[in-house]
Amino acid sequence: MNAIIFSAIWGVLMMFTGAFVQSKTLPKYLAITGAALLFLLNGIELYNGTPIFNINGMNMLAITSMNLTFLEVIFAATLLFFMLSGRDVERVGEHVSEYFALIFFVLCGVSLSSTYNTLLLLFLGIEIMSIPLYVLTGADKRNLKSNEASLKYFLMGAFSTGILLMGIAFIYGGNTNASFYIDQIHLGVGKMPVMITVGVVLLIIALSFKVSAAPFHFWTPDVYDGAPTVFTSFMSTIVKAAGFFAFIRLFKTSFGPVQGQWQNLIVFITVATMLIGNVTAVFQQSVKRMLAYSSIAQAGFMLLALFALNQTADDGIILYSAAYSLATIGIFAILIKMNDYTIEGFNGLAKQQPLLGLVATICLLSLTGIPLTAGFTSKFFMLTAAVENGHKFWVVIVAVIFAAISAYYYFRVIQAIYFKEPSSAEPVIDAERVSGSFKILLAITAILILILGIYPEILIGWAHH
Amino acid sequence: MDFFFLQVQAQNSAENYFPIVIQILFAIGLLTLMIFGSDLLGPKRKTADKLQNFESGIEIKGNARQPIAIKYFLVAILFVLFDVEVIFFYPYAINFRALKWEGFLAVVLFVSSFLAGFIYIFKKGALKWEE
Repeated sequence: MNAIIFSAIWGVLMMFTGAFVQSKTLPKYLAITGAALLFLLNGIELYNGTPIFNINGMNMLAITSMNLTFLEVIFAATLLFFMLSGRDVERVGEHVSEYFALIFFVLCGVSLSSTYNTLLLLFLGIEIMSIPLYVLTGADKRNLKSNEASLKYFLMGAFSTGILLMGIAFIYGGNTNASFYIDQIHLGVGKMPVMITVGVVLLIIALSFKVSAAPFHFWTPDVYDGAPTVFTSFMSTIVKAAGFFAFIRLFKTSFGPVQGQWQNLIVFITVATMLIGNVTAVFQQSVKRMLAYSSIAQAGFMLLALFALNQTADDGIILYSAAYSLATIGIFAILIKMNDYTIEGFNGLAKQQPLLGLVATICLLSLTGIPLTAGFTSKFFMLTAAVENGHKFWVVIVAVIFAAISAYYYFRVIQAIYFKEPSSAEPVIDAERVSGSFKILLAITAILILILGIYPEILIGWAHH
Repeated sequence: MDFFFLQVQAQNSAENYFPIVIQILFAIGLLTLMIFGSDLLGPKRKTADKLQNFESGIEIKGNARQPIAIKYFLVAILFVLFDVEVIFFYPYAINFRALKWEGFLAVVLFVSSFLAGFIYIFKKGALKWEE
Protein backbone atom coordinates (compact mmCIF):
# COMPACT_ATOMS: atom_id res chain seq x y z
CA MET A 1 0.00 0.00 0.00
CA ASN A 2 2.81 2.41 0.95
CA ALA A 3 4.63 1.61 -2.26
CA ILE A 4 1.63 2.20 -4.55
CA ILE A 5 0.82 5.62 -3.12
CA PHE A 6 4.35 6.78 -2.65
CA SER A 7 5.68 5.79 -6.06
CA ALA A 8 2.86 7.69 -7.77
CA ILE A 9 3.46 10.79 -5.63
CA TRP A 10 7.20 10.66 -6.28
CA GLY A 11 6.58 10.32 -10.00
CA VAL A 12 4.52 13.53 -10.00
CA LEU A 13 7.22 15.22 -7.93
CA MET A 14 9.85 14.23 -10.48
CA MET A 15 7.64 15.60 -13.26
CA PHE A 16 7.40 18.96 -11.52
CA THR A 17 11.14 19.01 -10.95
CA GLY A 18 11.48 18.82 -14.71
CA ALA A 19 9.13 21.76 -15.20
CA PHE A 20 10.45 24.08 -12.49
CA VAL A 21 14.12 23.25 -11.91
CA GLN A 22 16.77 23.69 -14.57
CA SER A 23 19.52 21.64 -12.91
CA LYS A 24 20.64 18.58 -14.85
CA THR A 25 22.09 16.60 -11.98
CA LEU A 26 19.34 17.17 -9.37
CA PRO A 27 16.84 14.67 -10.91
CA LYS A 28 19.29 11.81 -10.46
CA TYR A 29 19.82 12.49 -6.77
CA LEU A 30 16.10 13.03 -6.26
CA ALA A 31 15.38 9.71 -7.98
CA ILE A 32 17.93 7.90 -5.79
CA THR A 33 16.29 9.44 -2.70
CA GLY A 34 12.89 8.34 -3.97
CA ALA A 35 13.97 4.76 -4.59
CA ALA A 36 15.65 4.62 -1.17
CA LEU A 37 12.48 5.96 0.50
CA LEU A 38 10.35 3.42 -1.40
CA PHE A 39 12.65 0.65 -0.20
CA LEU A 40 12.43 1.96 3.37
CA LEU A 41 8.66 2.53 3.47
CA ASN A 42 7.94 -0.85 1.93
CA GLY A 43 10.36 -2.42 4.39
CA ILE A 44 8.53 -0.77 7.31
CA GLU A 45 5.24 -2.15 6.00
CA LEU A 46 6.78 -5.60 5.67
CA TYR A 47 8.21 -5.40 9.18
CA ASN A 48 5.22 -3.88 11.01
CA GLY A 49 2.44 -5.28 8.88
CA THR A 50 0.56 -1.96 8.73
CA PRO A 51 0.82 0.71 6.03
CA ILE A 52 1.08 4.44 6.81
CA PHE A 53 -2.14 5.36 5.02
CA ASN A 54 -4.65 2.64 5.77
CA ILE A 55 -7.04 3.02 2.87
CA ASN A 56 -10.07 0.78 2.61
CA GLY A 57 -9.14 -1.22 -0.47
CA MET A 58 -12.34 -3.35 -0.40
CA ASN A 59 -10.11 -6.45 -0.33
CA MET A 60 -8.90 -5.63 -3.84
CA LEU A 61 -5.27 -5.76 -2.73
CA ALA A 62 -3.54 -8.75 -1.18
CA ILE A 63 -0.81 -7.35 1.05
CA THR A 64 1.07 -10.47 2.14
CA SER A 65 4.64 -10.76 3.31
CA MET A 66 5.52 -12.67 0.16
CA ASN A 67 4.27 -9.87 -2.10
CA LEU A 68 5.99 -7.23 -0.02
CA THR A 69 9.25 -9.18 -0.04
CA PHE A 70 9.10 -9.32 -3.80
CA LEU A 71 8.52 -5.55 -3.93
CA GLU A 72 11.44 -5.08 -1.58
CA VAL A 73 13.64 -6.96 -4.09
CA ILE A 74 12.29 -4.78 -6.91
CA PHE A 75 13.00 -1.53 -5.05
CA ALA A 76 16.48 -2.67 -4.05
CA ALA A 77 17.21 -3.47 -7.69
CA THR A 78 15.83 -0.08 -8.77
CA LEU A 79 17.96 1.72 -6.20
CA LEU A 80 21.03 -0.11 -7.45
CA PHE A 81 20.05 0.64 -11.05
CA PHE A 82 19.66 4.37 -10.32
CA MET A 83 23.00 4.54 -8.54
CA LEU A 84 24.90 2.54 -11.15
CA SER A 85 23.32 3.94 -14.30
CA GLY A 86 21.82 7.27 -13.19
CA ARG A 87 24.50 9.18 -15.05
CA ASP A 88 23.73 7.28 -18.26
CA VAL A 89 20.05 8.19 -17.95
CA GLU A 90 21.22 11.81 -18.00
CA ARG A 91 23.00 11.16 -21.28
CA VAL A 92 19.93 9.84 -23.12
CA GLY A 93 18.34 13.22 -23.78
CA GLU A 94 17.30 16.53 -22.32
CA HIS A 95 14.16 15.47 -20.41
CA VAL A 96 16.04 13.76 -17.60
CA SER A 97 13.55 14.15 -14.78
CA GLU A 98 10.73 12.96 -17.05
CA TYR A 99 12.59 9.71 -17.63
CA PHE A 100 12.87 9.21 -13.89
CA ALA A 101 9.22 10.19 -13.44
CA LEU A 102 8.21 7.53 -15.97
CA ILE A 103 10.31 4.95 -14.14
CA PHE A 104 8.50 5.82 -10.91
CA PHE A 105 5.17 5.36 -12.68
CA VAL A 106 6.38 1.96 -13.86
CA LEU A 107 7.20 1.18 -10.23
CA CYS A 108 3.64 2.16 -9.27
CA GLY A 109 2.38 -0.33 -11.86
CA VAL A 110 4.77 -2.95 -10.52
CA SER A 111 3.48 -2.39 -6.97
CA LEU A 112 -0.10 -2.79 -8.20
CA SER A 113 0.56 -5.87 -10.29
CA SER A 114 2.37 -7.66 -7.49
CA THR A 115 -0.27 -6.99 -4.81
CA TYR A 116 -3.49 -7.24 -6.83
CA ASN A 117 -6.34 -9.40 -5.65
CA THR A 118 -8.78 -8.76 -8.49
CA LEU A 119 -8.47 -9.14 -12.23
CA LEU A 120 -9.28 -5.44 -12.64
CA LEU A 121 -6.23 -4.37 -10.66
CA LEU A 122 -4.11 -6.89 -12.56
CA PHE A 123 -5.14 -5.20 -15.78
CA LEU A 124 -4.54 -1.71 -14.37
CA GLY A 125 -1.17 -2.70 -12.95
CA ILE A 126 0.04 -4.23 -16.20
CA GLU A 127 -1.14 -1.20 -18.18
CA ILE A 128 0.48 1.32 -15.82
CA MET A 129 3.62 -0.78 -16.09
CA SER A 130 3.62 -0.94 -19.90
CA ILE A 131 2.58 2.54 -21.06
CA PRO A 132 5.55 4.47 -19.58
CA LEU A 133 7.81 1.80 -21.09
CA TYR A 134 6.58 2.56 -24.61
CA VAL A 135 7.66 6.16 -24.05
CA LEU A 136 10.98 5.22 -22.49
CA THR A 137 11.77 2.92 -25.43
CA GLY A 138 11.43 5.88 -27.78
CA ALA A 139 13.27 8.28 -25.46
CA ASP A 140 16.12 8.69 -27.93
CA LYS A 141 13.97 10.80 -30.22
CA ARG A 142 16.51 11.42 -33.02
CA ASN A 143 17.44 7.75 -33.32
CA LEU A 144 15.47 5.93 -36.00
CA LYS A 145 15.96 2.53 -34.36
CA SER A 146 14.64 3.78 -31.06
CA ASN A 147 11.55 5.16 -32.79
CA GLU A 148 10.97 1.90 -34.60
CA ALA A 149 11.33 -0.09 -31.40
CA SER A 150 8.91 2.19 -29.59
CA LEU A 151 6.23 1.95 -32.26
CA LYS A 152 6.64 -1.82 -32.56
CA TYR A 153 6.44 -2.27 -28.81
CA PHE A 154 3.40 -0.03 -28.59
CA LEU A 155 1.44 -1.77 -31.35
CA MET A 156 2.25 -5.28 -30.14
CA GLY A 157 1.68 -4.28 -26.52
CA ALA A 158 -1.70 -2.78 -27.36
CA PHE A 159 -2.76 -6.01 -29.06
CA SER A 160 -1.67 -8.16 -26.16
CA THR A 161 -3.51 -5.87 -23.75
CA GLY A 162 -6.63 -6.39 -25.80
CA ILE A 163 -6.15 -10.15 -25.54
CA LEU A 164 -5.62 -9.85 -21.79
CA LEU A 165 -8.86 -7.90 -21.39
CA MET A 166 -10.70 -10.44 -23.52
CA GLY A 167 -9.39 -13.24 -21.31
CA ILE A 168 -10.47 -11.39 -18.17
CA ALA A 169 -13.95 -10.92 -19.63
CA PHE A 170 -14.24 -14.65 -20.39
CA ILE A 171 -13.09 -15.60 -16.89
CA TYR A 172 -15.57 -13.16 -15.38
CA GLY A 173 -18.45 -14.41 -17.47
CA GLY A 174 -17.51 -18.06 -17.19
CA ASN A 175 -17.10 -18.60 -13.45
CA THR A 176 -20.26 -19.34 -11.54
CA ASN A 177 -19.52 -16.74 -8.85
CA ALA A 178 -19.21 -14.03 -11.50
CA SER A 179 -16.35 -12.62 -9.48
CA PHE A 180 -13.35 -10.48 -10.30
CA TYR A 181 -11.60 -11.52 -7.09
CA ILE A 182 -8.91 -13.99 -8.02
CA ASP A 183 -9.37 -16.09 -4.88
CA GLN A 184 -13.12 -16.42 -5.46
CA ILE A 185 -13.11 -17.56 -9.06
CA HIS A 186 -15.14 -20.73 -8.88
CA LEU A 187 -14.32 -23.23 -11.59
CA GLY A 188 -16.59 -26.06 -10.48
CA VAL A 189 -15.47 -29.66 -10.41
CA GLY A 190 -14.15 -31.79 -13.25
CA LYS A 191 -13.48 -30.40 -16.68
CA MET A 192 -13.28 -26.63 -17.07
CA PRO A 193 -16.25 -25.00 -18.84
CA VAL A 194 -15.54 -23.83 -22.39
CA MET A 195 -15.59 -20.14 -21.52
CA ILE A 196 -13.08 -20.59 -18.72
CA THR A 197 -10.81 -22.60 -21.01
CA VAL A 198 -10.89 -19.84 -23.61
CA GLY A 199 -10.21 -17.27 -20.89
CA VAL A 200 -7.26 -19.21 -19.49
CA VAL A 201 -5.70 -19.62 -22.93
CA LEU A 202 -6.12 -15.92 -23.71
CA LEU A 203 -4.59 -14.98 -20.34
CA ILE A 204 -1.63 -17.30 -20.96
CA ILE A 205 -1.07 -15.70 -24.38
CA ALA A 206 -1.27 -12.13 -23.11
CA LEU A 207 0.91 -12.65 -20.06
CA SER A 208 3.45 -14.72 -22.04
CA PHE A 209 3.71 -11.75 -24.35
CA LYS A 210 4.40 -9.41 -21.45
CA VAL A 211 7.17 -11.65 -20.11
CA SER A 212 8.46 -12.38 -23.66
CA ALA A 213 8.02 -16.14 -23.61
CA ALA A 214 8.19 -17.98 -26.93
CA PRO A 215 6.28 -18.06 -29.28
CA PHE A 216 5.25 -14.52 -28.28
CA HIS A 217 8.81 -13.20 -27.98
CA PHE A 218 9.33 -11.65 -31.42
CA TRP A 219 9.19 -8.06 -30.18
CA THR A 220 11.89 -8.61 -27.55
CA PRO A 221 15.19 -8.49 -29.48
CA ASP A 222 14.13 -5.51 -31.61
CA VAL A 223 12.80 -3.53 -28.67
CA TYR A 224 15.70 -4.33 -26.35
CA ASP A 225 18.17 -3.54 -29.11
CA GLY A 226 16.48 -0.32 -30.22
CA ALA A 227 15.77 1.18 -26.81
CA PRO A 228 18.46 3.28 -25.10
CA THR A 229 20.68 0.77 -23.29
CA VAL A 230 19.92 2.10 -19.79
CA PHE A 231 16.23 1.52 -20.30
CA THR A 232 16.86 -1.92 -21.77
CA SER A 233 18.58 -2.74 -18.50
CA PHE A 234 15.51 -1.59 -16.56
CA MET A 235 12.95 -3.29 -18.82
CA SER A 236 14.67 -6.62 -19.05
CA THR A 237 15.09 -7.01 -15.30
CA ILE A 238 12.67 -5.23 -13.01
CA VAL A 239 9.65 -5.08 -15.30
CA LYS A 240 10.08 -8.63 -16.54
CA ALA A 241 10.37 -10.02 -13.01
CA ALA A 242 7.20 -8.15 -12.02
CA GLY A 243 5.38 -9.61 -15.01
CA PHE A 244 6.37 -13.10 -13.93
CA PHE A 245 5.28 -12.52 -10.38
CA ALA A 246 1.83 -11.35 -11.52
CA PHE A 247 1.56 -14.30 -13.93
CA ILE A 248 2.39 -16.88 -11.28
CA ARG A 249 0.18 -15.36 -8.58
CA LEU A 250 -2.86 -15.34 -10.85
CA PHE A 251 -2.40 -18.90 -12.01
CA LYS A 252 -1.61 -20.24 -8.57
CA THR A 253 -4.56 -18.61 -6.80
CA SER A 254 -7.21 -18.94 -9.46
CA PHE A 255 -6.34 -21.92 -11.62
CA GLY A 256 -4.03 -23.91 -9.36
CA PRO A 257 -6.59 -26.66 -8.56
CA VAL A 258 -7.10 -27.47 -12.25
CA GLN A 259 -3.41 -27.26 -13.17
CA GLY A 260 -3.53 -30.64 -14.90
CA GLN A 261 -5.73 -29.18 -17.62
CA TRP A 262 -3.43 -26.36 -18.70
CA GLN A 263 -0.01 -27.67 -17.67
CA ASN A 264 0.73 -29.05 -21.14
CA LEU A 265 0.44 -25.58 -22.63
CA ILE A 266 2.92 -24.20 -20.09
CA VAL A 267 5.30 -27.09 -20.77
CA PHE A 268 5.22 -26.25 -24.48
CA ILE A 269 5.83 -22.54 -23.82
CA THR A 270 8.63 -23.27 -21.33
CA VAL A 271 10.53 -25.63 -23.61
CA ALA A 272 10.04 -23.41 -26.67
CA THR A 273 11.25 -20.36 -24.74
CA MET A 274 14.40 -22.10 -23.55
CA LEU A 275 15.09 -23.54 -27.00
CA ILE A 276 14.65 -20.30 -28.92
CA GLY A 277 16.33 -18.09 -26.32
CA ASN A 278 19.41 -20.22 -25.89
CA VAL A 279 19.96 -21.36 -29.46
CA THR A 280 19.52 -17.88 -30.94
CA ALA A 281 21.75 -16.27 -28.32
CA VAL A 282 24.60 -18.52 -29.47
CA PHE A 283 24.70 -16.78 -32.87
CA GLN A 284 24.69 -13.17 -31.66
CA GLN A 285 27.72 -10.95 -32.19
CA SER A 286 26.42 -7.92 -30.27
CA VAL A 287 26.48 -8.36 -26.51
CA LYS A 288 23.40 -6.17 -26.14
CA ARG A 289 21.43 -8.40 -28.50
CA MET A 290 22.88 -11.51 -26.87
CA LEU A 291 21.58 -10.25 -23.51
CA ALA A 292 18.15 -9.70 -25.09
CA TYR A 293 18.04 -13.35 -26.15
CA SER A 294 19.53 -14.44 -22.85
CA SER A 295 16.66 -12.65 -21.12
CA ILE A 296 14.29 -14.84 -23.16
CA ALA A 297 16.28 -17.89 -22.10
CA GLN A 298 16.14 -16.84 -18.44
CA ALA A 299 12.39 -16.30 -18.84
CA GLY A 300 12.19 -19.97 -19.78
CA PHE A 301 13.73 -20.88 -16.45
CA MET A 302 11.37 -18.58 -14.57
CA LEU A 303 8.48 -20.29 -16.34
CA LEU A 304 9.43 -23.46 -14.47
CA ALA A 305 7.86 -21.81 -11.41
CA LEU A 306 4.60 -21.65 -13.33
CA PHE A 307 5.05 -25.28 -14.28
CA ALA A 308 5.64 -26.29 -10.65
CA LEU A 309 3.26 -23.99 -8.69
CA ASN A 310 4.32 -24.94 -5.16
CA GLN A 311 5.93 -23.34 -2.13
CA THR A 312 9.47 -23.90 -3.43
CA ALA A 313 8.48 -22.22 -6.69
CA ASP A 314 7.21 -19.16 -4.79
CA ASP A 315 10.49 -18.85 -2.92
CA GLY A 316 12.36 -19.58 -6.13
CA ILE A 317 10.71 -16.83 -8.17
CA ILE A 318 11.63 -14.20 -5.56
CA LEU A 319 15.19 -15.47 -5.44
CA TYR A 320 15.39 -15.75 -9.22
CA SER A 321 14.13 -12.18 -9.66
CA ALA A 322 16.80 -10.94 -7.26
CA ALA A 323 19.61 -13.00 -8.81
CA TYR A 324 18.68 -12.25 -12.41
CA SER A 325 18.10 -8.52 -11.78
CA LEU A 326 21.38 -8.06 -9.90
CA ALA A 327 23.48 -9.84 -12.50
CA THR A 328 21.79 -8.22 -15.52
CA ILE A 329 21.88 -4.71 -14.05
CA GLY A 330 25.56 -5.23 -13.27
CA ILE A 331 26.52 -6.45 -16.73
CA PHE A 332 24.43 -3.75 -18.43
CA ALA A 333 26.02 -1.02 -16.27
CA ILE A 334 29.40 -2.12 -17.64
CA LEU A 335 28.10 -2.59 -21.19
CA ILE A 336 26.76 1.00 -21.32
CA LYS A 337 30.26 2.34 -20.67
CA MET A 338 31.83 0.26 -23.45
CA ASN A 339 32.84 1.92 -26.70
CA ASP A 340 31.94 -1.14 -28.76
CA TYR A 341 28.92 -3.35 -27.99
CA THR A 342 30.20 -6.43 -29.86
CA ILE A 343 31.89 -9.34 -28.13
CA GLU A 344 35.23 -8.23 -29.65
CA GLY A 345 34.65 -4.92 -27.85
CA PHE A 346 35.19 -6.74 -24.55
CA ASN A 347 38.63 -7.98 -25.63
CA GLY A 348 41.22 -7.24 -22.97
CA LEU A 349 38.82 -5.57 -20.53
CA ALA A 350 40.46 -7.31 -17.57
CA LYS A 351 43.89 -5.84 -18.40
CA GLN A 352 42.66 -2.26 -18.68
CA GLN A 353 39.97 -2.31 -15.97
CA PRO A 354 40.62 -5.30 -13.67
CA LEU A 355 37.69 -4.62 -11.32
CA LEU A 356 35.17 -4.16 -14.12
CA GLY A 357 36.38 -7.35 -15.74
CA LEU A 358 35.99 -9.27 -12.48
CA VAL A 359 32.49 -7.96 -11.78
CA ALA A 360 31.38 -8.66 -15.35
CA THR A 361 32.71 -12.21 -14.96
CA ILE A 362 30.83 -12.73 -11.67
CA CYS A 363 27.62 -11.41 -13.25
CA LEU A 364 28.00 -13.71 -16.25
CA LEU A 365 28.81 -16.69 -14.02
CA SER A 366 25.68 -15.93 -12.02
CA LEU A 367 23.60 -15.80 -15.21
CA THR A 368 25.04 -19.18 -16.22
CA GLY A 369 24.31 -20.64 -12.79
CA ILE A 370 27.75 -21.56 -11.45
CA PRO A 371 27.80 -22.49 -7.71
CA LEU A 372 28.56 -19.82 -5.11
CA THR A 373 26.62 -17.25 -7.14
CA ALA A 374 22.98 -16.27 -6.71
CA GLY A 375 22.23 -17.66 -10.16
CA PHE A 376 23.04 -21.17 -8.98
CA THR A 377 20.81 -21.15 -5.91
CA SER A 378 17.90 -19.67 -7.81
CA LYS A 379 18.21 -22.19 -10.63
CA PHE A 380 18.50 -24.90 -7.97
CA PHE A 381 15.25 -23.72 -6.35
CA MET A 382 13.47 -23.72 -9.70
CA LEU A 383 14.60 -27.23 -10.60
CA THR A 384 13.72 -28.53 -7.11
CA ALA A 385 10.26 -27.03 -7.45
CA ALA A 386 9.82 -28.68 -10.85
CA VAL A 387 10.88 -32.05 -9.47
CA GLU A 388 8.53 -31.68 -6.48
CA ASN A 389 5.65 -31.10 -8.86
CA GLY A 390 5.94 -34.76 -9.76
CA HIS A 391 4.73 -34.54 -13.36
CA LYS A 392 6.76 -34.60 -16.57
CA PHE A 393 10.21 -35.10 -15.15
CA TRP A 394 11.75 -34.70 -18.62
CA VAL A 395 11.17 -30.94 -18.47
CA VAL A 396 13.76 -30.76 -15.69
CA ILE A 397 16.30 -32.63 -17.83
CA VAL A 398 15.63 -30.33 -20.78
CA ALA A 399 16.11 -27.29 -18.52
CA VAL A 400 19.48 -28.57 -17.30
CA ILE A 401 20.65 -29.21 -20.86
CA PHE A 402 19.72 -25.70 -21.92
CA ALA A 403 21.46 -24.25 -18.85
CA ALA A 404 24.58 -26.01 -20.09
CA ILE A 405 24.15 -24.58 -23.59
CA SER A 406 23.85 -21.08 -22.10
CA ALA A 407 27.38 -21.45 -20.74
CA TYR A 408 28.67 -21.24 -24.33
CA TYR A 409 27.59 -17.70 -25.06
CA TYR A 410 28.18 -16.34 -21.54
CA PHE A 411 31.68 -17.83 -21.41
CA ARG A 412 32.54 -16.38 -24.79
CA VAL A 413 32.33 -12.92 -23.23
CA ILE A 414 34.40 -14.03 -20.22
CA GLN A 415 36.96 -15.46 -22.65
CA ALA A 416 37.10 -12.11 -24.45
CA ILE A 417 37.53 -10.27 -21.16
CA TYR A 418 40.44 -12.37 -19.87
CA PHE A 419 42.16 -14.23 -22.68
CA LYS A 420 42.07 -11.93 -25.72
CA GLU A 421 44.20 -8.95 -26.63
CA PRO A 422 42.45 -5.64 -27.40
CA SER A 423 41.63 -5.49 -31.13
CA SER A 424 42.56 -1.81 -31.53
CA ALA A 425 44.89 0.65 -29.87
CA GLU A 426 41.99 2.64 -28.39
CA PRO A 427 40.96 1.79 -24.82
CA VAL A 428 37.85 -0.44 -24.44
CA ILE A 429 36.40 2.00 -21.92
CA ASP A 430 37.18 5.70 -21.66
CA ALA A 431 38.71 6.01 -18.21
CA GLU A 432 36.85 9.23 -17.35
CA ARG A 433 33.52 7.42 -17.62
CA VAL A 434 34.45 5.07 -14.79
CA SER A 435 34.29 6.95 -11.49
CA GLY A 436 35.40 5.69 -8.09
CA SER A 437 31.85 5.44 -6.75
CA PHE A 438 30.84 3.45 -9.81
CA LYS A 439 33.57 0.93 -9.04
CA ILE A 440 32.50 0.68 -5.38
CA LEU A 441 28.88 0.11 -6.40
CA LEU A 442 29.89 -2.57 -8.88
CA ALA A 443 31.89 -4.29 -6.14
CA ILE A 444 28.81 -4.15 -3.88
CA THR A 445 26.72 -5.73 -6.67
CA ALA A 446 29.20 -8.57 -7.01
CA ILE A 447 29.28 -9.09 -3.23
CA LEU A 448 25.46 -9.16 -3.12
CA ILE A 449 25.44 -11.81 -5.83
CA LEU A 450 27.88 -13.92 -3.82
CA ILE A 451 25.97 -13.41 -0.53
CA LEU A 452 22.68 -14.49 -2.15
CA GLY A 453 24.51 -17.47 -3.59
CA ILE A 454 25.71 -18.63 -0.17
CA TYR A 455 22.87 -17.57 2.15
CA PRO A 456 19.65 -17.45 0.12
CA GLU A 457 17.76 -17.79 3.43
CA ILE A 458 18.15 -14.08 4.21
CA LEU A 459 15.80 -13.27 1.38
CA ILE A 460 13.46 -16.23 1.64
CA GLY A 461 13.12 -15.86 5.40
CA TRP A 462 11.38 -12.54 4.85
CA ALA A 463 8.80 -14.06 2.53
CA HIS A 464 7.63 -16.29 5.39
CA HIS A 465 7.86 -13.49 7.95
CA MET B 1 -44.34 -20.31 -27.95
CA ASP B 2 -42.40 -23.53 -27.70
CA PHE B 3 -39.67 -22.06 -29.80
CA PHE B 4 -36.07 -23.33 -29.94
CA PHE B 5 -34.56 -19.92 -29.27
CA LEU B 6 -36.50 -19.33 -26.09
CA GLN B 7 -35.55 -22.61 -24.48
CA VAL B 8 -31.96 -21.57 -23.93
CA GLN B 9 -31.03 -21.80 -20.29
CA ALA B 10 -28.64 -19.42 -18.60
CA GLN B 11 -25.69 -21.77 -18.77
CA ASN B 12 -22.16 -21.21 -19.85
CA SER B 13 -21.60 -23.72 -22.57
CA ALA B 14 -20.78 -23.16 -26.21
CA GLU B 15 -23.93 -24.64 -27.72
CA ASN B 16 -26.06 -22.02 -26.01
CA TYR B 17 -24.51 -19.46 -28.30
CA PHE B 18 -25.75 -21.30 -31.39
CA PRO B 19 -28.71 -18.90 -31.94
CA ILE B 20 -26.28 -15.97 -31.96
CA VAL B 21 -24.19 -17.71 -34.63
CA ILE B 22 -27.33 -18.17 -36.73
CA GLN B 23 -28.19 -14.52 -36.25
CA ILE B 24 -24.70 -13.39 -37.32
CA LEU B 25 -24.84 -15.62 -40.41
CA PHE B 26 -28.29 -14.24 -41.23
CA ALA B 27 -27.12 -10.64 -40.82
CA ILE B 28 -24.09 -11.19 -43.07
CA GLY B 29 -26.20 -13.00 -45.67
CA LEU B 30 -28.84 -10.28 -45.74
CA LEU B 31 -26.25 -7.53 -46.10
CA THR B 32 -24.42 -9.28 -48.96
CA LEU B 33 -27.71 -9.91 -50.70
CA MET B 34 -28.78 -6.26 -50.43
CA ILE B 35 -25.45 -4.75 -51.47
CA PHE B 36 -24.91 -7.00 -54.48
CA GLY B 37 -28.61 -6.95 -55.32
CA SER B 38 -28.80 -3.17 -55.57
CA ASP B 39 -25.53 -3.16 -57.52
CA LEU B 40 -26.85 -5.70 -60.04
CA LEU B 41 -30.39 -4.42 -60.40
CA GLY B 42 -29.99 -0.66 -60.04
CA PRO B 43 -29.30 1.77 -62.95
CA LYS B 44 -25.73 3.02 -63.43
CA ARG B 45 -24.82 6.48 -64.77
CA LYS B 46 -21.16 7.30 -64.13
CA THR B 47 -19.93 10.84 -64.59
CA ALA B 48 -16.57 12.37 -63.61
CA ASP B 49 -18.18 14.45 -60.89
CA LYS B 50 -19.95 11.47 -59.42
CA LEU B 51 -16.81 9.36 -59.17
CA GLN B 52 -14.91 12.00 -57.21
CA ASN B 53 -14.38 11.66 -53.45
CA PHE B 54 -16.99 13.53 -51.48
CA GLU B 55 -15.54 16.30 -49.35
CA SER B 56 -18.56 18.24 -48.12
CA GLY B 57 -19.15 19.67 -51.59
CA ILE B 58 -15.75 21.38 -51.78
CA GLU B 59 -13.47 20.61 -54.71
CA ILE B 60 -10.53 18.31 -53.96
CA LYS B 61 -7.19 20.05 -53.46
CA GLY B 62 -3.97 18.03 -53.44
CA ASN B 63 -3.00 15.12 -51.22
CA ALA B 64 -4.05 14.76 -47.59
CA ARG B 65 -0.76 13.11 -46.63
CA GLN B 66 1.33 16.18 -45.94
CA PRO B 67 3.20 17.18 -42.80
CA ILE B 68 1.17 19.08 -40.23
CA ALA B 69 2.62 21.00 -37.29
CA ILE B 70 2.86 18.85 -34.13
CA LYS B 71 1.11 21.63 -32.19
CA TYR B 72 -2.27 20.56 -33.55
CA PHE B 73 -1.83 17.00 -32.29
CA LEU B 74 -0.64 18.21 -28.90
CA VAL B 75 -3.62 20.49 -28.42
CA ALA B 76 -5.99 17.78 -29.65
CA ILE B 77 -4.65 15.13 -27.28
CA LEU B 78 -4.64 17.52 -24.33
CA PHE B 79 -8.19 18.53 -25.16
CA VAL B 80 -9.30 14.89 -25.11
CA LEU B 81 -7.56 14.34 -21.78
CA PHE B 82 -9.17 17.28 -20.03
CA ASP B 83 -12.50 16.78 -21.73
CA VAL B 84 -12.79 13.22 -20.43
CA GLU B 85 -12.32 14.59 -16.93
CA VAL B 86 -15.69 16.33 -17.19
CA ILE B 87 -17.46 13.02 -17.83
CA PHE B 88 -16.63 11.88 -14.30
CA PHE B 89 -18.49 14.86 -12.87
CA TYR B 90 -21.84 13.62 -14.14
CA PRO B 91 -22.14 10.58 -11.89
CA TYR B 92 -20.71 12.60 -9.03
CA ALA B 93 -23.26 15.40 -9.52
CA ILE B 94 -26.10 12.87 -9.35
CA ASN B 95 -24.80 11.27 -6.15
CA PHE B 96 -23.54 14.53 -4.66
CA ARG B 97 -25.49 14.25 -1.37
CA ALA B 98 -25.24 10.51 -0.93
CA LEU B 99 -21.44 10.48 -1.14
CA LYS B 100 -21.05 13.08 1.65
CA TRP B 101 -17.69 14.60 2.53
CA GLU B 102 -15.77 11.48 1.68
CA GLY B 103 -16.96 11.69 -1.91
CA PHE B 104 -16.18 15.39 -2.01
CA LEU B 105 -12.61 14.73 -0.86
CA ALA B 106 -12.19 12.04 -3.49
CA VAL B 107 -13.36 14.42 -6.21
CA VAL B 108 -11.10 17.19 -4.92
CA LEU B 109 -8.18 14.76 -5.07
CA PHE B 110 -9.14 13.80 -8.62
CA VAL B 111 -9.47 17.43 -9.77
CA SER B 112 -6.28 18.49 -8.05
CA SER B 113 -4.29 15.77 -9.80
CA PHE B 114 -5.69 17.02 -13.09
CA LEU B 115 -4.84 20.57 -12.08
CA ALA B 116 -1.29 19.42 -11.35
CA GLY B 117 -1.17 18.00 -14.85
CA PHE B 118 -2.46 21.26 -16.26
CA ILE B 119 0.18 23.29 -14.42
CA TYR B 120 2.80 20.87 -15.72
CA ILE B 121 1.84 21.19 -19.39
CA PHE B 122 1.48 24.95 -19.02
CA LYS B 123 4.92 25.29 -17.48
CA LYS B 124 6.40 22.97 -20.11
CA GLY B 125 5.08 25.28 -22.81
CA ALA B 126 2.82 22.75 -24.51
CA LEU B 127 0.17 25.45 -25.01
CA LYS B 128 2.48 28.11 -26.48
CA TRP B 129 1.19 28.59 -29.99
CA GLU B 130 3.64 31.12 -31.44
CA GLU B 131 7.30 30.31 -31.27
